[in-house]
Amino acid sequence: MAAELFKNTKVLVCVGSGGVGKTTVAASLAVLAAKEGKRVLVLTIDPAKRLAQTLGIEGTKDITKVPGQNFAGELYASVIDHKKTFDDFVSRAAQKSEAAKKIFENSLYKQLSTNLSGSQEFTSLEKLYTAYESGQFDLIILDTPPTKHAIDFLNAPQKLSALFSEGVAKWFRDPEGKKSGFFGHLLQTGTRQVLKVLENLTGSQFIRELGDFFMNIEQWQGKLLNRTVEVHRMLVSPTTKFVLVTSFDQAKLKEAEYFSREIKKGGYHLDTVILNRIFPTWLDLKAEKKGGPDQALVDLYEQMKSFYNHRDTLYQQFESRMEKEAQVLRIPDLVQDISDLSGLESLSELISEREQQK
Amino acid sequence: MKQEIHFVTGKGGVGKSVVAAALALKLSQAGKKVLLVELGDQSFFRDFFSLSQVGFQPVSIRQNLSIALWSGDTCLREYAGYLIKVESLAKLFFDNAVMRAFINVAPALPELAILGKITSGPRKHGPPLPFDCIVVDAFATGHFKALLEAPKGMAQAVQFGPMGEQSRSIDKVIRDKSMCHYHIVTLPEELPLKEAAELSQDLKDEFDINAEIILNKILPVPISVEKVTEYTKQEDSDMKDFAIYLQHHMQRQTEMLAEAEKVTTNLRSIPLFFEADPWKLTSLMAEKL
Repeated sequence: MAAELFKNTKVLVCVGSGGVGKTTVAASLAVLAAKEGKRVLVLTIDPAKRLAQTLGIEGTKDITKVPGQNFAGELYASVIDHKKTFDDFVSRAAQKSEAAKKIFENSLYKQLSTNLSGSQEFTSLEKLYTAYESGQFDLIILDTPPTKHAIDFLNAPQKLSALFSEGVAKWFRDPEGKKSGFFGHLLQTGTRQVLKVLENLTGSQFIRELGDFFMNIEQWQGKLLNRTVEVHRMLVSPTTKFVLVTSFDQAKLKEAEYFSREIKKGGYHLDTVILNRIFPTWLDLKAEKKGGPDQALVDLYEQMKSFYNHRDTLYQQFESRMEKEAQVLRIPDLVQDISDLSGLESLSELISEREQQK
Repeated sequence: MKQEIHFVTGKGGVGKSVVAAALALKLSQAGKKVLLVELGDQSFFRDFFSLSQVGFQPVSIRQNLSIALWSGDTCLREYAGYLIKVESLAKLFFDNAVMRAFINVAPALPELAILGKITSGPRKHGPPLPFDCIVVDAFATGHFKALLEAPKGMAQAVQFGPMGEQSRSIDKVIRDKSMCHYHIVTLPEELPLKEAAELSQDLKDEFDINAEIILNKILPVPISVEKVTEYTKQEDSDMKDFAIYLQHHMQRQTEMLAEAEKVTTNLRSIPLFFEADPWKLTSLMAEKL
């Protein structure tokens, strides 16, 4: 039986805080979709070595067909190279190669395309959109960067485009307001004061670098803005669904509830919440007291059982609140690192089973 | 006495916030006046410790222990206020839509503002920060590297003016071994450890920093591997599944510990505590630090 999650779905976005297992969940969902006969692409951020080996994408930069698969569909994978994606975008957007070269040399661009908060989010979405636009895949699954908050991820492109919207850039290109008319001059009084403050804080050299940067990116601002609009349209489309991955700790569950509200508020379609790695598979919460020759071992078992029982209470509260928003699936901790395709298949079967039970 | 600054980082999900809190608690118990700093817009500790509010201004939560939440924006705001002194002008600067858009994504500016605030004591620059120790629950690995590199990058890009000058002075402090201490938290698992190892190497190469690696959540198994293996073979034992789990776990822990020892000599382990009460958990961890 086909998973509900994939029905009429073209894009799946896996979001959640860092360290909850987004990458493995994304890869398992891709395996599940390929088993159902879809031509599927999973875009990942920085997979574990063994997962990268499993997917055949270690050291590759392009979209690669996952080796050793025997599915009804086809499974492709790619690691997002942020710097390259950003550079590709700029090369396409800057009409003259000379202009692109100047941008690449600008020290602020170097910061922007590598370190800057928000740029990985931008490149992830850019890569997703490029694959989506190509129409080559039935389904694309995106593993998102390790942002502290899912919301930061969703807001990043808007933040970036706000910076490049005409208003901001104009300031730095024409701080004296020579090119603007009467209203422009009124506005400029405030502008000059604000820039003066910035100059006091940073120095005139920084302002010059900034001006230079904005001069150079002039050509691709429009493209960036259009792109942001297109990406947003794709993200709010009913064929794009969100999977929120979370793991245990009280604060994380609370955060997940907050995300789910924000995802809804933004007009995105939250479909599934995955509570990942919640219980070790050996654990039987309802088991009677176990016996054994080593009391120390029994004690450890009991200690863990009562710890996980406490967590179970919190999960139940979380689930009853969340179920109004999305389906909630619990996935146990598999202990062994997932190191091959069959590992991903086991996880994908677990996800599928849990979904059928709903 | 010189102000101590401790940075706690690691991959997302490894428990670095609780380790940071435990470190802060331990230092405060030793009689030092400690500030635990969270970075970003949202407080983890507010929920964790059920505090009524955690904001930019430090609030005391225990004896000798205060907590604050700093973001690039709030640090920059305070710093600008401190320098400009004219409140209306500072307000104009920050409430301006264009400047907000710029500050939101400006390369390295938020990072500089945060590090500037953290290092303001030793640099004697900015509003006073009356604490003996500052423990920073810092960003996760990638973003943390960007944080530390910001002053160097900016000092190179902007040679003249106050920004370049401040950048150089911040860079000097974060490299000073007598003031700054670095702790990378990881789990006995492949990916977190790989990130920790890479970061530790980068810190060594680029800053000559010898960071401490903390292996968190080591499962304390009270019996020997041989015994556990015995149980995994006993068909009639109702502990069989549990023993198989423990066997896997112990094997992985041993592998990961060996891996970690290859990376650093500066290594510490914290056991996994089955404790749900946040203060009790933090105290238990503090004892192990």
